[in-house]
Amino acid sequence: MIDDLKEKFLNELESVISPADLFQLRVNYLGKKGHLTSALKALSSATPDERPLLGKKINDVKQFVEAHIASKEAAFKNEELKKQLLAGAIDITLPGKYAAFGKEHPINQVLFEITDIFVKMGFSVEEGPEVETDYYNFEALNFPKDHPARDMQDTFFVSDDIVLRTHTSPVQVRGMEKRKPPVRFIAPGKVYRCDADITHTPMFHQVEGLMVDKDITFSNLKGILEAFLHQMFGPDTRVRFRPSFFPFTEPSAEVDIGCILCGGSGCRVCKNSGWLEILGAGMVNPAVFKNVGYDTEIYTGFAFGMGIERIAMLKYAIDDIRLFYENDIRFLRQF
Amino acid sequence: MRASLAWLREMVPGSESDVDTAHRLTMLGLEVEGIEKVEGDTVFEINVTPNRPDCLSIIGIARELSAALGTPLNFPEHEVNGNTGELDFNIDILNPALCRRYAGRIVKGLKIGPSPDWLKLRLEKSGIRSINNVVDVTNYVLIELGHPLHAFDLGTIKGHRIQVGTSGDVKGKAERLRFRTLDGLERELLSDALLIWDAERPIAIAGIMGGGETEVSDSTTDIFIESAWFDPVSVRRTAKATGLKTEASFRFERGTDIKMLKKALDRAAFLMHEIAGGKVYGKIDIYPGQLPPAKIIISAEKINSVLGLDLPETQIIRYLNDLGFVVEEGKGCLNITPPAYRVDVQGGADIIEEIARTYGYERIPAVLPMASVGIETQDNSQKAFSESLLKELKESFLKSGFTEVINYSFMGDQDLDLLGIDRSDLRHLLKVPIKNPLRLEDTYMRTMLVPALIRNIVYNVSHDNRAFKLFEISRVFSGSKDEKLPEHKYHFAAALYKEKTRSLYKDDTNDFFVVKGIIEALLEALKIRDYSFGRSVEPFLHPGQSADLFISGSKTGFVGALSPVIVERLDIKAHGPSIVLAEFDIDFLRPYAMQVIKYRPLPKYPGSERDTALVVDESIASSKIVALLKEFDSDLIEDITLFDVYKGKNIPDGKKSIAFSIRYRAADRTLTDDDVETLHNRIVGFICEKTNGQVRS
Ligand SMILES: [Zn+2]
Repeated sequence: MIDDLKEKFLNELESVISPADLFQLRVNYLGKKGHLTSALKALSSATPDERPLLGKKINDVKQFVEAHIASKEAAFKNEELKKQLLAGAIDITLPGKYAAFGKEHPINQVLFEITDIFVKMGFSVEEGPEVETDYYNFEALNFPKDHPARDMQDTFFVSDDIVLRTHTSPVQVRGMEKRKPPVRFIAPGKVYRCDADITHTPMFHQVEGLMVDKDITFSNLKGILEAFLHQMFGPDTRVRFRPSFFPFTEPSAEVDIGCILCGGSGCRVCKNSGWLEILGAGMVNPAVFKNVGYDTEIYTGFAFGMGIERIAMLKYAIDDIRLFYENDIRFLRQF
Repeated sequence: MRASLAWLREMVPGSESDVDTAHRLTMLGLEVEGIEKVEGDTVFEINVTPNRPDCLSIIGIARELSAALGTPLNFPEHEVNGNTGELDFNIDILNPALCRRYAGRIVKGLKIGPSPDWLKLRLEKSGIRSINNVVDVTNYVLIELGHPLHAFDLGTIKGHRIQVGTSGDVKGKAERLRFRTLDGLERELLSDALLIWDAERPIAIAGIMGGGETEVSDSTTDIFIESAWFDPVSVRRTAKATGLKTEASFRFERGTDIKMLKKALDRAAFLMHEIAGGKVYGKIDIYPGQLPPAKIIISAEKINSVLGLDLPETQIIRYLNDLGFVVEEGKGCLNITPPAYRVDVQGGADIIEEIARTYGYERIPAVLPMASVGIETQDNSQKAFSESLLKELKESFLKSGFTEVINYSFMGDQDLDLLGIDRSDLRHLLKVPIKNPLRLEDTYMRTMLVPALIRNIVYNVSHDNRAFKLFEISRVFSGSKDEKLPEHKYHFAAALYKEKTRSLYKDDTNDFFVVKGIIEALLEALKIRDYSFGRSVEPFLHPGQSADLFISGSKTGFVGALSPVIVERLDIKAHGPSIVLAEFDIDFLRPYAMQVIKYRPLPKYPGSERDTALVVDESIASSKIVALLKEFDSDLIEDITLFDVYKGKNIPDGKKSIAFSIRYRAADRTLTDDDVETLHNRIVGFICEKTNGQVRS
């Protein structure tokens, strides 16, 4: 009889379609008057010989029944949960409660990129005033009063003696006055020239750099700037140094890179030359060292400077510098 | 400087292509910025740097090419015949400091007329308009040899005399003169302007422009040609003061070749005779300011050590000789005399550049320096802290959806007036004026950032951008009585603009709290403890929805809704937009930002919370509750959180309900319910008493 019970249970289990059915089935088998409970009770009437075997059989069936009921029960619960979860479904194709991050101004992004490269080469970062004395902006940098070199920079004046700095170079002088060699710093910041058109804004940004020590050579200047330009524009960038003039460096150089827009074959941006002017540089003029009290017999050094707007315009193919200062959110969000 | 290749080739024969020559010039430091084909010739547009006035001429550029190519230079001929006739003419240099040399020639009986075509064409290629044969010749020689000349109508020069000096030199008393230049304009001259005079009156501004009364005209037959050296600084000062910039002044103020002036004079006389006829008379040449040639001493070793090269001395000497420098070998050094036309070469560094240029910048190897390792100084670590503060500030607003803007550092009175800022406000009083602004609206350096952000809002809304958040970190400037330079302070400013928009997700937080919340989070992140907000006194903010920020009791910024009165004044086509502005002084925060972090042990015993809602007068600020709690001063109070402020139904008019939760905790034991209950009741009682409030039931 016990042998048939399993079969019977399986048949009845098959027809269970609701938790109520399952409850009834459990009562029928495991309840006080259930088949298995009755079978156990009947065990006492079996012969002592049969008893162990029969007992084991009944127990096996009981475990079998319990396991199946538990698993069916779990299945019902699962189904129920599924139903509940489905009821709580949302349209996941709706956009998220989106809080877009803001964007850093492209000029500051490029400025950071440049600064970071030099900081990794061991340069510290120095700052100086934007409203500057004529002495630091010009005299100390070997631009004498009434010298045509001053024409290279249209100057905003606060008074005869105070100007808006026309370049970040005065930070060179202030930085050297503050410390003894070795010196290795860059100075990023805003500069001003009274000029406004498609390629000029009255305020723009520069990064100045200075390195002074014993045995610093023009060859080192080339080394540092090539390393920088390869980091900034890619390792295959062609770099060209050619003679130029800045009052505070001698020898002076203009540094060009192969045009990143046409690859050197010539285009509108590089004025068909295949080259883009990117940096001014040179060996610190001994006249500047004298102004800060550095011994020109012992120390040599180099300085360089670059315009951030120009680099940003090349990097992002922007053709009108004024876009940077209109601050149109549609422009700023692109970077 | 525009230079014709055909003209250059006359002086330096060669067959290099124009593109190759352009590249060669560029790599010598004479950057060719443009190449133009003109009637079978090529014209280079060369950017001549201010240190190389010698290259503001065909001969100067030819000299560079000649040295680079190793081709000898053909100097243009200037045979002057007919040095005849007694001259009844005197030249007096009254100021030899400003005029070291003055030479002249008289040509009589020439015929003024148009120039021959070849001359016109060369001038045209050089960018100079043809006037008449005499004037054209002076301009031709200017371009060819780089020396400015001036031709006077001899008949108009009074007393057969030329004097060179300032008004003080000539009249014994310095005075400002008015003088009519040949462009027909009357000019006011500085009293120290160097002038050319005849026996009675000034007839030219030395080195800049001649006078209208002695100008060569169609009826002129006799002329006096001037070729002189004038002091660069003096010419520049006068040119700037009179606003006159001429081909002549451009060269004189950069420095002219004192030796060349004689050749230029002869060349001009020769060409005038050829072209306009007439008889050339003897030369007068007064040269009181002869200086010994400058000598530069430098060793080959020094040159090599600066460049990172190892050139033999013989090579260095050869380079210099090719460039026209005279080199004598001294003991372990070179004694170098630059040619007179190289006014820029004054010291060893200039010689080093000549060697680098000739050797070729391209050929100098690029080598990274052997650098000593720096040590971070105290100064630097302070700076690093400031940088991290700025970074934190920037990050917190970027992540909150604010986009960074950069505005010009300028402002005008209209900016502050729009905001109704009083004229006695420091932001008016301390503004730093610019003497030569590009626009009236940009007359001052900014004393605050918010006006520019308001402009950004107007611009963006007019371009149909309807919801955005902006911030800027820039310096503001305020004049100082004690310091020469104005104070530079970093400010932070933010602007939030939003129109009533339909949105999938509801969030009706007043935008004031959005901006204030970021500022509070930032202050907490910076571990600035002693901050507070009070009703703002800024005239441009909504009086009911704005706050001033105080750090340690000092006002350092504000946050608030832009006053509807001001919004009305803006050119914004939107109905009732939400505009919240904030600005504060970053430099002021720095010292309060806690730099040293000390660990506090975590609590060992559980805490316990109690909530209470009080009904108080509407006028009681929520911060009052917090302040009272502080005043109560119990060690067991750990924290207070405000979680509801309510007005309306079930609350009497003029009252509001404030709900808060206080967390209690003891450091050394678990608080019993009784402990907490008793303490909480005492605190609520205290607050009710002080605020005249009642527990909301
Ligand atoms: Zn290109």
